[in-house]
Amino acid sequence: MVTNEDVQRFITAIKMASTYDFNDYSDRSFKRRVEKLLVDNHMDINQLSLKVAKDKDFLEKVVKDITVNTTELFRDPEMWSTLRYQILPKLKKNKSIFIWHAGCSSGQEIYSMLILLNELGMFEQAKVFASDINSDMLEVAKKGTYKYRFNLGYLDNFDKVIKENPLNYEDVKHVDYEKYFDIDKVKDTITMKQFLREKAVFRKHDLVKDGNIFYSKFDIIFCRNVIIYFNNKLQNSVIELFSNSLYREGYLILGAHESILGPVANNFERTKGFYRKKQF
Amino acid sequence: MDYKAVIIGGSAGSFQVVTKIVSSLPANYPLPVILCLHRLKHVRSGFVEALSIKAQMPIVEPNDKEPIKSGKIYLAPANYHLYVELGNRFSLSTEDAVNHSRPSIDLSFFSASYNYKRKLVGIILSGANKDGALGLKSVKDNGGLTIVQDPNECQVPTMTLASMNATNVDHVFSTNKIINFLLSLA
Repeated sequence: MVTNEDVQRFITAIKMASTYDFNDYSDRSFKRRVEKLLVDNHMDINQLSLKVAKDKDFLEKVVKDITVNTTELFRDPEMWSTLRYQILPKLKKNKSIFIWHAGCSSGQEIYSMLILLNELGMFEQAKVFASDINSDMLEVAKKGTYKYRFNLGYLDNFDKVIKENPLNYEDVKHVDYEKYFDIDKVKDTITMKQFLREKAVFRKHDLVKDGNIFYSKFDIIFCRNVIIYFNNKLQNSVIELFSNSLYREGYLILGAHESILGPVANNFERTKGFYRKKQF
Repeated sequence: MDYKAVIIGGSAGSFQVVTKIVSSLPANYPLPVILCLHRLKHVRSGFVEALSIKAQMPIVEPNDKEPIKSGKIYLAPANYHLYVELGNRFSLSTEDAVNHSRPSIDLSFFSASYNYKRKLVGIILSGANKDGALGLKSVKDNGGLTIVQDPNECQVPTMTLASMNATNVDHVFSTNKIINFLLSLA
């Protein structure tokens, strides 16, 4: 049984040996991740804390294992349909559209957005940046290859967002999967097309301390199911960063069950789960 | 008997029972009621609406870090684990499924029992797997009150039997007795 004091000592050991600071992560899920680390590494909390203090490679591996990497293509199809029919048309006249996927994990969200942009004829004008704390995940995201059978839900989501129109059931588009990805049933893979894989700029980035590393402001920032792992204080400072990194009337897109709770919420208007930075 | 929260876990065969319980609680019920129910990942909306039609208390799927308030029913959102944090707020997580389930009843019960200790009522209903058994044990080990739906009444008794195996539960109640007990806390 891991106590709160154990977790605190482990966090301190990481902080002393690196630039990572997990003090403001959500307690319950962080503790659970630590318990999983102990089981996976066959160590007790003292051994684990000692090893991260001494072994830099091990520390990096631990940081990767602590962070959660769940994502899927067109996760929450309703959100993507809203984006398609109500948000993106407003940006179409812009010469450039700057987009940041913060906490992009293995990249499915990036490819979902690129597919949508391409369907709307907005692919060329999009400037796409993606970041994650976990460099292994960035490599997966760049490759754009995912398990096929395990992820059959991707195709259902694709159909809902790309082929169907929730506002008009008669409006059904015929879009072949081959336009955007190759499915290899023998290798059990689904791989994004090269023109999609070449589009985004990827950078390692820690939301706790790194600020805006892209020297650009954004029209849309995605950060979905990332800040659930942060406590209120850290959530507020991250939302502050996003607020400062957005153009006026830019959009912040959070996960389906995330919201802005602190005073920084006053910088935004909320409609249908989208936060839009106020004009003034 | 000053309880601070009620947490209810259920899976296959529990929907009617939950509906009956929820519809029996008055609008001014003095405790928060936390529901952690297994459901299909892609059935996102509709469930809250279906329960809301019957309930007098407001039912919500909580957002991350939402404060937990008395007089509300909270339903674990589909495809997230639901934790109770110290400081009486929820938090959500998309970590891997536990016992093939997300939300996992065990995880919600662990965190709730850790936060509320002996001031928690934990209830396990009908269900086809063992998720929830260790969670109910944790409620008991932290001094809370443990109840299972009578396995003879359950459509699928696996979950309640597993819970009774895992810990010495305080009460084995029919649905009606569960309701009467919950009303007695008001």
